[in-house]
Amino acid sequence: MIEPGYEHENTGWAEIRRMAGRSKMIIAGLVILGSFTVLAFIHPVLTATVWADRPDIYRPVTGHDTSISHPSGPSVAHPLGTDPLGRDVLSLMTYGLRPSFIVAVASAIGAATVGLIAGTSAAFFRGRYDRVMTHVSDAFMLLPPPLVFLLASKRGLMGPLELGLLYGILFGLGPAAIVVRARALAVMEKPFIDAARSAGGSSRWIITHHVVPHVIPHLAVVVLAGVVGALVTQGFVEYLGIGKYRYGLGNLMYNALVYQGALGTSVPWSSFLAGSLGISLLASSFYMISAGLRAVADPRSRRRV
Amino acid sequence: MLRFVGRRVFWGLVTLVIVVSLAFFAVNLFLPYDYAVGLGQRPRAIEAIRQQLGLDRPLVVRWLDYMSHFVRGDLGVTYEGMSVSSQVWNFLPWTVGIFAVGGVVAYLFGEWFGRLVGWSRYRLLSSTANIGGVLLFTAFPPFLVFMLFLFGAPRLSAFRSSLGLEFRPEAGGPSGLFHLLAFGLVVALVGGLIARAWARKRDYSALRVTAVPLAVAGFLVGMWLLGVWGEGIDWLLWDRGLVAAAALVLIAFGEMMLVMGAGVSEEIAEDYVFTARAKGIPGSRIRDRHVAPNAVLPAISRLVTSIPYLIGGLVIIEVSAGSGGLGTLLLSSIGSGQVPVVLGVLGVIGVIGIAMRVGLDVVQAVIDPRLREGVRR
Repeated sequence: MIEPGYEHENTGWAEIRRMAGRSKMIIAGLVILGSFTVLAFIHPVLTATVWADRPDIYRPVTGHDTSISHPSGPSVAHPLGTDPLGRDVLSLMTYGLRPSFIVAVASAIGAATVGLIAGTSAAFFRGRYDRVMTHVSDAFMLLPPPLVFLLASKRGLMGPLELGLLYGILFGLGPAAIVVRARALAVMEKPFIDAARSAGGSSRWIITHHVVPHVIPHLAVVVLAGVVGALVTQGFVEYLGIGKYRYGLGNLMYNALVYQGALGTSVPWSSFLAGSLGISLLASSFYMISAGLRAVADPRSRRRV
Repeated sequence: MLRFVGRRVFWGLVTLVIVVSLAFFAVNLFLPYDYAVGLGQRPRAIEAIRQQLGLDRPLVVRWLDYMSHFVRGDLGVTYEGMSVSSQVWNFLPWTVGIFAVGGVVAYLFGEWFGRLVGWSRYRLLSSTANIGGVLLFTAFPPFLVFMLFLFGAPRLSAFRSSLGLEFRPEAGGPSGLFHLLAFGLVVALVGGLIARAWARKRDYSALRVTAVPLAVAGFLVGMWLLGVWGEGIDWLLWDRGLVAAAALVLIAFGEMMLVMGAGVSEEIAEDYVFTARAKGIPGSRIRDRHVAPNAVLPAISRLVTSIPYLIGGLVIIEVSAGSGGLGTLLLSSIGSGQVPVVLGVLGVIGVIGIAMRVGLDVVQAVIDPRLREGVRR
């Protein structure tokens, strides 16, 4: 029973793009991610238009609205309410999302680069090098990143870029390298690699033109899943206050809890929920895209489209 | 089979050596202290201690020295001269208990619910469950812990006082009771899981359903027989511990349900399912007897890759719930620069991770004989 699209195994991008349009998970993830991207850059636009008559009260760190008491719930003037110090939560959130995006991009680039190099080289050269690399990857899988960040913060506090890159390297040498290696080994078994070899293709040509293109969709899946961990870990670093900056989403939560504890009041829900749901939803968008891509990239699920 | 287990354990130990070495170099790279800084106050005193202890030797020599002690189970001493092993051992029952209870409960419910969701033809159910699972898995742990405390703690303390319980155990208590309880609980739960798997294979449906509850009941009876009933119940109903375990359950449940649901819905299209349907086998039997065992295999191999995420999540949960345990010990010893304790905790966390890894590998090999013969996937 041969169905269209299955007679030749092809995991190319064009087909995945076609399939991705039908995956609800991917669409949901992209919608969430898109709205957070808009949110991250909306602050200058809002101060120039809607908030133009009193821009000072919407400054992310120093703003204060003297006309109402704080903390306050959602209102027309403050769509997400204000925190106990009278700062606008929406403004805090737009600024807090920026380090999160930096971490997401930096960890994805770091993990993809390191994972691709470590995984394909292990699968291509095999032998003793492969065996050593497998154990190194296993070992990196067992070093929980939050612990490494706790350690690393002693040397000097980390900004979002360092945080993302360090997470990317840890994740790239661990889970990403394992997945890439397994996929690359599967590709190396295929007859067309032998064909390319006997046609005189060099190692470099085979790696760059045959192995890497087949591995990249799977790499994308695992790297996007890694971004989830990076964002949660970043939230933890901000929550503990061991980051170099003081305006992340985790700081928003930390501040809410500190004020609640210090003042003995009820929880300032507006800033608490904005921080925690911001981290969770942003992380979930990457997870949804990753899970959707995995379903699409798996040839078994393609059969029953 | 024994040879397979032996081989896995051997390579697990090799991985452990690499983990501890990575931890050793990471600690030396990141922590601006060493043992001498913790003991001495003046630069010259620090220098003298450093020479006396051999800390001025090259890093590689110190690494070899540390490893040779580590493989003999010697984790060194703290600045106060206490043994690191005993300190880690005191904090261990909290982490192990929470991880075991959380992991097993999440696995049982996640596997069951994922099977239902993956098999169901109701689009609404499966998409709601998928979105719910993603949101649980990616929930920010301190947020979960906070919400659980806010809504769960008052009810729990009302329940506790209705039982007349006042005493609250503190982390690092001297008695061996907590170790007995934590490891007894682990043994009971793992035993229950094994009995459940065996019953499923032999098709004893009554035992399959009751295996884990029976094991827990056995654990409670054992507690009563040993005469530690009161303290044991008190320990099991400790609010911080329960909140931490519940938070871990929620996160791991989301992951397990998603993975199992995806596995089952992939298997539905296989030819053997059509054959079974054509033969008139009822749907729930096809699902449980034929589809689930095939779907569990990729689910378990996916779980292997989430071990670091789960252990990292556990540390975050422990720290934000204040439930004591290795995460708390690590945080405080990094804060006070207790280098030997930091290394010891990282090593023990590595041991826990490898034990889980090897355990899951063995489970996979039991389910799938191809893996036993050393056939590479």
